[in-house]
Amino acid sequence: MDKNVPLTEALFYILLSLRKPNHGYGIIQEVERLTGGRVVLGPGTLYGAIQTMLAKGWIRIFSEETDSRRKKEYVITETGGRVFAEERRRLEELLANAALMEEETGRYISG
Amino acid sequence: MVKFRLYVNKDRETAWLNEMVRRGYAMEGFFAGFYQFGVCSSGEYVYQIDFTEGFFRIPSDYREFMGEAGVEIMGLWGPWVFLRKRAAEGPFELYTDVESTIEHYTRIRNLFKVATAVEIACLVMEFLAVLNGSSWARVFACVIGAMVVALIREVVRLNEFLAELKSRLGEESRIGRQRRPSRFLAAGMIANAVAFMIENPAWRFQKYCLVLAAVFLIGVGVVRTWIKRE
Repeated sequence: MDKNVPLTEALFYILLSLRKPNHGYGIIQEVERLTGGRVVLGPGTLYGAIQTMLAKGWIRIFSEETDSRRKKEYVITETGGRVFAEERRRLEELLANAALMEEETGRYISG
Repeated sequence: MVKFRLYVNKDRETAWLNEMVRRGYAMEGFFAGFYQFGVCSSGEYVYQIDFTEGFFRIPSDYREFMGEAGVEIMGLWGPWVFLRKRAAEGPFELYTDVESTIEHYTRIRNLFKVATAVEIACLVMEFLAVLNGSSWARVFACVIGAMVVALIREVVRLNEFLAELKSRLGEESRIGRQRRPSRFLAAGMIANAVAFMIENPAWRFQKYCLVLAAVFLIGVGVVRTWIKRE
């Protein structure tokens, strides 16, 4: 059993962008918008991540328009949703524990 | 314009292609070391070289993906794909996080490992042919030997680079600077191959000069391989 979490930042944001159907370039734009331009996915990184997640069954192909301008769309699966929820619990634990730092602020840590 | 180059290191190759763009030449095709260039305005494009799962074949969704991202596919060689994007459309980097960069270079390293093994097998076969008295086999053995040196050097370089990337993720990596065959060995073998090709007795002097140069280069190569790098 390979460990799914922690997710890399790229996988986390790609899964989040696929909560509703989205296509390749749409994912790049969504992630850029969500992070205020901090995370701009390279096409190589995104392509690799999508292939990996398709193979793992975390996402699936949503549509393939048969028009002249076909765009492949992807969407999260139930498995992908479970992985995301697991990661979210981990992140919540991190944040909750991070609050412990405040108790000591002023005693050992200045500011 | 056509230029001939042999690159093992794809980052150097990329840097060269982008330097050509700066000088106003855009790569438009590739075949067996020959790069076809067209004219462009200085700095018009950014080139990148990707490594794909396919072999002389681009998956349709890859093509679609790159097209959507404004990336043009300019050439294909084995698993290598030459890509470019207009510089005006923003920065162009294929791999933007450490994890996927590690994955990318690991796959390249693994291919070079396989290629090294194949070349060594060819080298053994050429040696057997030399023992059977084939004179061309001596030339091929030298050329293949030089290729093996180049491939091993690249595998070592990639191992070191991967170790550095992994340490950025906080993973402890044991690999420090590794011993690797000197490039002088490869140069010596090429000189030797050329010397083997000279059969005309009138060129005997040049032939022996080349053999002498080859012996000198290989000697330097052995010493430089022996001495541990700083």
